[in-house]
Parts: sequence; C-alpha cells; structure tokens
Amino acid sequence: MTRVEKRILIVDDDRDFVEATQAFLEANGFTVLKAHNGKDGVKLAKMERPDLILMDIMMDERTEGFFTIQEMRRQEELKGVPIFVISSLYTEMPDFDNPPDRAWLAHDEFLAKPVDMVQLVEKIRQRIGQPA
Amino acid sequence: MGEAAAPETVVVIDDDYAMRLSCCKILSKMGFGVEAFEDGTRGLEGVGRLKPGLIVVDLKMPGISGMEVISRVHEIDPQITIVVITGYATIDTAVEAMKCGAYDFLPKPFSPDELRLIVNRGLERRRLSLESQRCEVERAMLKRRFVTFVSHQLRTPLVAIHQYLDVLKHLGDTAEVAAKREEWIDRCLKRTDELQSLIADWLTLARVEGGTLTKERIKVDLKQLLPGILKTYEAMAAGEGVSLHAALSEAPLCVSGDWNCLTVLFDNLITNGIKYNRPGGKVTVSGWPAEGEVVVTVGDTGVGIPEQYRPFLFDEFFRIKDEGAKKTTGTGLGLHISKKIVAEMAGSLDFESQPGTGSTFRVRVPAWHEADVAKTGSSE
Ligand SMILES: Nc1ncnc2c1ncn2[C@@H]1O[C@H](COP(=O)(O)OP(=O)(O)O)[C@@H](O)[C@H]1O
Ligand SMILES: [Mg+2]
Repeated sequence: MTRVEKRILIVDDDRDFVEATQAFLEANGFTVLKAHNGKDGVKLAKMERPDLILMDIMMDERTEGFFTIQEMRRQEELKGVPIFVISSLYTEMPDFDNPPDRAWLAHDEFLAKPVDMVQLVEKIRQRIGQPA
Repeated sequence: MGEAAAPETVVVIDDDYAMRLSCCKILSKMGFGVEAFEDGTRGLEGVGRLKPGLIVVDLKMPGISGMEVISRVHEIDPQITIVVITGYATIDTAVEAMKCGAYDFLPKPFSPDELRLIVNRGLERRRLSLESQRCEVERAMLKRRFVTFVSHQLRTPLVAIHQYLDVLKHLGDTAEVAAKREEWIDRCLKRTDELQSLIADWLTLARVEGGTLTKERIKVDLKQLLPGILKTYEAMAAGEGVSLHAALSEAPLCVSGDWNCLTVLFDNLITNGIKYNRPGGKVTVSGWPAEGEVVVTVGDTGVGIPEQYRPFLFDEFFRIKDEGAKKTTGTGLGLHISKKIVAEMAGSLDFESQPGTGSTFRVRVPAWHEADVAKTGSSE
C-alpha cells in the first residue's frame, strides 16, 4: 500500500513557531503532526511513523532535542525516518557540555532558526518527495 | 577533595649526596612522597614522570644548570612550585632564579626547620593558586552557559515573529492564511512584548547584580509603598477576575532600603499572585513588625507550586510548564531578581504552597533603625 500523503512531525515547545511552520507546510501539501516536548514527540512518532521529523533542541530541558533524537534512533519503528534539527543554537554548540554520546549527531540536517520556509520545504522535498 | 588525601610528591635535585639524603629524610618524615636525583637530566625525567607538587633544586650542578631546570620544569607544568638551594656566594643567582619563576630560595646551610617551613608555604601557595584557577574555569563555564541561555531566550520570540512574517509574505494572499492574519499579527505583538519584558528584566537583574539598584538606603515605609503598588495592579487583577486585599498592621513598617528595589520586589510577588491565580481568587498582602524585622507576606488562592519544582523556583529563567500550569507569559526572572534584592537587604524570601489551594511568599527584612541615618549620611 503506498501512501500518497506525506506526514511531518514537528517537535517544538514554541507554539507560534509550530503554528507558522504548520501553515506553510500544509499550504505545500504536507500533513502536519505536532508535539511540544520530547516525550510526546517520541510517543507520537512511534504511533504514527511520520515521513520526516523536525526537531527543536532547547525545550524544557536544555538539551531535550538531543535526548529525544537519541531515543528516536533507538526505536525499531522509526528506522530510516529522517530527522532535521531546527534550532537557534548555532550548529555544533561548543559549550554544550557532555552530550550523552555522539548519537545526537545522527540528525540528518541542521537548520538555524529562524528558518527560511521556502528553503525548508525544498529540503524536505529533496528528502521525502512531494505529496501527491 | 579526594586528591588532597593522596600525599603530595616532592622531587629533590642536587649533586651533593649528603644534601639529597638529608632532604629526603626531612621531607619523607613530613609525609611526602620524595624522590631525589643527582643531576638535571635525570631530575627532569623524574619530574615528567612523577608530576610532583614541588621540587627542591640546587642551582649549581654539573650538566644542566639549575636555572635551566627551572624553565624546563615550568614547561612541563607551570603550577609546580620550585624552591632553589644556593650557596652564600650566589644570592644574586638566587634572585635571578626567582625572576625565572622559582618560588623561594634556601641559602646553604639551612636547618631542617627552614626546609620544612619553605616547603609547606610553597605547597600552600600552590594549593591556593590551583583552587583559584579551578574557580576561574568554573565561573567562565557558568558565564558561557548563561550567555547561550540568554541568547536563546531572546531569540525565541524573534524567531516566532520572523516565522509568522515569512509565511504571511509568501502566502498572505491565500484564503487559509488571510483568515489567520489578524490572529498572527496579535501573536507577533504579544511576542514583541515578551521580548521587551525580557530585556527589561534582564537589565534589572544586571543592575541588581552590579549593585546600582540596591546602593541607596533610605527609610521606606512599606505602609506607603504597598498600597500604591496594589493600586497599580488593580486593572490587571480585575482582568483576571482576582481581587486584591491589604492587611497591614497599624504600626508603621519602616525598613532601610531602596524605593525602586522594593517596588521591583513587591511588583514581582503581587503580579505572580495575580497571574498564577484563578478567576474569583484573591491576593492578600499582609505586613507586620516582628523583633527588629518587618515581615510582609503575599498570599494567593491560586494553582500552587508542586513539590518537585520548589527547589528551582528562584533559579534564573525557571518557569513551571507542566500540564497543570496556567498558560501565562513571563520571563522566569522575577523571583530570581526578588531573591537577590532581599539578600542585598540582609533579609530573606521564602514561600509555602499547597498545590491547588494557593501559595504565600514571605519577605523578612531588617526594620529601620534611627542609627541607620548616620550611616546613610556619611556615605552620601
Ligand atoms: N504565586 C505563585 N503561584 C504559583 N506559581 C508561582 C507563583 N509565583 C511564581 N510561580 C512559578 O514560578 C515561576 C517563576 O516565577 P517568576 O520568577 O516570577 O517568573 P515569571 O512570573 O516571569 O514566570 C513562574 O513561572 C511560576 O511557574
Ligand atoms: Mg513573575
């Protein structure tokens, strides 16, 4: 069974960011799922197996996004689901003390906030294609 | 710390056998691990291997000179304390050695007591300098983390605004987005307000920390200050369906403080009482004198503070965000600032809370003494 729908999960604690991004993605034909913290993100991702995940880093916990990515990478159901980090922290964050291990580097793309919406959609399309 | 228990190692480098022997004897009696070497080359090898806290080195040796040993040792580790041994005739050289980084010198012949004294002093100095270095590193790290955190806090509302504008720019003409325009513009305005108060709070914090806000000590009667503040927040409280009450004792409630600081303090506590309340709720400000102190409590009938968050309440930027928490705006700096202000006044700030029933914040500050006048007068 091929799914024509392309579903994107946004994990971000800023509701305005989520609302704006959701509107833009939906206008481009994507279906949006959302979670406002890492725990809900993992839960929803396991349940729904989205085609792609957009992940914030600093949520309630300073490095919540990293832990969440790690957790997601451990889930059998989520094998192969691309994760894009969208964060206002600049790239590799030299002062982030002791990330749990280097597994968080497993993210597929690192985009700085604010993110150029057109460019974001472009990158998503490159990765998972355009919804029919 | 743990490593303090391990005995410090001392290295002795001297070509004179009798000297090596007696130094080793004295130093090992003091509880140090001691190793002695007969020339600079072997000595340096030993220093690299043993990582001693202190070395005692003869300046006049065949082979590598003592002077060179000093600079090579400090290449290995600049924190190693070096004591040089010299003959009477070479005091000038000893001074030279100290310029090169030796800590002190022992003219020959010296007594065991002299050696003990100088070694103990040298190691003490080393301990202090290591400690201050460690504090330095820790402070720098905290500062770096704080800067990352603040810039993240400042960027978050900006990002939200940018994102809305970006979507409006690209899709503003589509029906779906047009329908949202009003709401989004309102959100953008809200987020600029958030940014404003973040900057304002951050500046207040910087002023409190820099001492500029708490410098001035004058006689302030809280019986005058508090009703004024309550009046300012009447509209806000009415908007939340909360009523404000004052229960101040008959006696004046004079404290020694700064009017602006005290205003910031009670602004924070009262607005929290309003914000984290429920429709139909109350905020009560009570005040009374108590044994050289003035006590003011700000009580609310609101959501309360769950046990697990209490230890963090005064941390900078801390806000409760669990499901039970009301959706409110705030910076998480108010209580942190308040605590600092009260501490500056040599007072205390604490709270009691019953989740679901309400919280009471209590300020205790020293009461005004007429003797304070003199102090204020002389500092002006
Ligand atoms: N009176 C109160 N009742 C319940 N929770 C409170 C109260 N005062 C403070 N808090 C909690 O403590 C947090 C920190 O307070 P504060 O430092 O004043 O920051 P802000 O009000 O800007 O969030 C608040 O976000 C809230 O979760
Ligand atoms: Mg507050």
